[in-house]
Amino acid sequence: MSSSANIVLSARGIVKRFRSGDSELEILHGVDLDLRSGERLALMGPSGAGKSTLLHILGLLERPTFGAVDVDGRDAWALSTQERAALRNRHIGFVFQFYHLLPELDAVENVMLPAMIAQSRGDFREDRRAHIAKAMDLLANFGLSHRLKHRPTQLSGGERQRVALARALFLDPPLIIADEPTGNLDRDTGELVLELLFRAQEQRNLSLLLVTHDERLAERCGRVLRLEAGRILGPLPGRG
Amino acid sequence: MYRFFLSWRFLRSRRTNLIGVFGIFLAVGALILILSIMTGFLEETRRSARGSLSDLIITLPPYSESKRPRDPAPVLEILRADERVEGASAHLGWMCILTRQDERSLRILVDSQSSEIAGVKLTGVDPATEDSAAEFRHSLDKVGRSEEGEIVAPRLRVSKLEDPFAAPPEYNANVGRPRASVIVGEKVMTYHGLRRGSFITLMTAVPDPKSDTGWSAKKREFVVAGCFRSGENEIDLERVYIDRGQLARFLAGVSEDDPLPEDSILYSEVLVKLKDYAADAEDVRATMGARLYKAGLLDETCTIRTWEEFRGALLGAIENERVLMGIMLSLILVVAGFTIFAILSMMVTEKRRDIGILTALGATPRGVLALFLLIGFWDALIGALSGAVVGTWMAIKIDPFERWLSETFGVQIFNREVYLFDSIPSVVTPVAVAAIVLGAFVCTLLFAAVPAWRAASLDPVEALRNE
Repeated sequence: MSSSANIVLSARGIVKRFRSGDSELEILHGVDLDLRSGERLALMGPSGAGKSTLLHILGLLERPTFGAVDVDGRDAWALSTQERAALRNRHIGFVFQFYHLLPELDAVENVMLPAMIAQSRGDFREDRRAHIAKAMDLLANFGLSHRLKHRPTQLSGGERQRVALARALFLDPPLIIADEPTGNLDRDTGELVLELLFRAQEQRNLSLLLVTHDERLAERCGRVLRLEAGRILGPLPGRG
Repeated sequence: MYRFFLSWRFLRSRRTNLIGVFGIFLAVGALILILSIMTGFLEETRRSARGSLSDLIITLPPYSESKRPRDPAPVLEILRADERVEGASAHLGWMCILTRQDERSLRILVDSQSSEIAGVKLTGVDPATEDSAAEFRHSLDKVGRSEEGEIVAPRLRVSKLEDPFAAPPEYNANVGRPRASVIVGEKVMTYHGLRRGSFITLMTAVPDPKSDTGWSAKKREFVVAGCFRSGENEIDLERVYIDRGQLARFLAGVSEDDPLPEDSILYSEVLVKLKDYAADAEDVRATMGARLYKAGLLDETCTIRTWEEFRGALLGAIENERVLMGIMLSLILVVAGFTIFAILSMMVTEKRRDIGILTALGATPRGVLALFLLIGFWDALIGALSGAVVGTWMAIKIDPFERWLSETFGVQIFNREVYLFDSIPSVVTPVAVAAIVLGAFVCTLLFAAVPAWRAASLDPVEALRNE
């Protein structure tokens, strides 16, 4: 396949089972999924369909019972814990519904966190000025130049999600995984965050995997997949 | 990089960590302070025991059938020829009963419960050579001095340090017959109500082949030339110094000015002082023993002992107490460790979500483990270092500090009379301080390891579940 070169994320035959007591519960029954470079993909489905579990498996946070996840052409679950962590750090940016910022750090520090994790102490110290400048630049782009030294508790929901967005973009990963990024925001604020997310995605030619309940949001994505009862129903006709 | 940065941030943002830090501070400080004082006690006791005991003590019982020479000169000559030997001096020891013309003597003799005793160990010394082997003059000079060093009780001291057995100025040698002088222990002086120039009577028994019991009694009057203070209760209570020649005359039953008879008993032990006791004691004991034995100067009835063997029980007891104190105070460290364990466990529970975030952003379980271990490390670093500084400072300044406390609150905390120490002894050994600090680190990290391990094995997905 000529297009396989620009496939950023690929999942094959993902099965996930959970043990609960004596019985085994199968959440995902063999999911296949490809995400191309620069593609905007929405994953929809009712609660309990297994969206979160699939997202965690694709985000390399949870090991599938069967199946393989390739990120950047590498079979992620065949790698060592360290290598997989580095892959997550460099190739995947997460945006969560509940922002998930560290309360002890201010906005700039939260944005720089992926670099702190990636680099040794000496390297980080060397690049510190550059990192701070980059973080401030990103935050300023998102209209937060007056909020640089604020802690998460001093920020509004929309501001927090913009900081989280800047953090996800900080190491320029080719893939952004967003789990209901507007789910906890009012309509106007959500709209603003989405604008920023889509703009960044277009400018940087990122692949975006967006999990949402919102039909209107899904409509703005290039491709929509529906997950129901642990199976992909396929792209909705007439779209994409 | 995030491990250092975040561990420090987490530590600062949780004030409860200070409890753990304070616990370590307290444990390290108390351990250093108490162990320094115990070491000081041990060293001070060693020193005071050493003042009267010397490094090696060769005991040569003067049995009549022994073929050894009567005079100590050949033994001393061989010992002094060895380059590791600093000095050697002969002693003649004899047990006596001390009385004076006073009702006090009767009271002491009849009271079986009294700590005041009439029995004394009369010790014949050579004033010229005694100081080369023991701190003889030092114990004379300690008497009657104030803390500033000035002499406050001249009537207790010998009149001339250079000739300690000279007749005291209070004694008129022309009255009655001449008497030899003795120097009594400080406690003997007070218990018997003696002063310089007082007369005492010493009574004892000596072997006598002509007597049908094998022994005959001796009695003689002496004049007190002053007293000494060794700092060791037992010695200050029992010992009476006398010129060795005079003791030999007393035992032989000849007058103070007469020459000694051929068969008189001249010495019963030889004190040896070494240049480096710690390094040479055992070796000198073995080689000298062999050499003296070969020369026919020692036989099977003789023993060579180090002074520590004499004071073994006392030193062992103090050493034992020091170890026990160390163990008990280490329990504070364990309690501090538990506190840190509890605080960190709480923190891990509280920071589940943050741990999940870090994992999502690319942190490894190993990194999370290091992050929480580092919090314990900071606790130990701050607690142990401040504890070491304050503990060492307190140990150095304990004496003025105790005096200040006593004066301020009017309660005597340390009774210097009980211990016969002029100040609270305290010796800070850098190795001990380093060991305590190291122990604090090991203890803290061990206790921090459990919650850190728990943090590292958290399931990030579980931690990130939407609230």
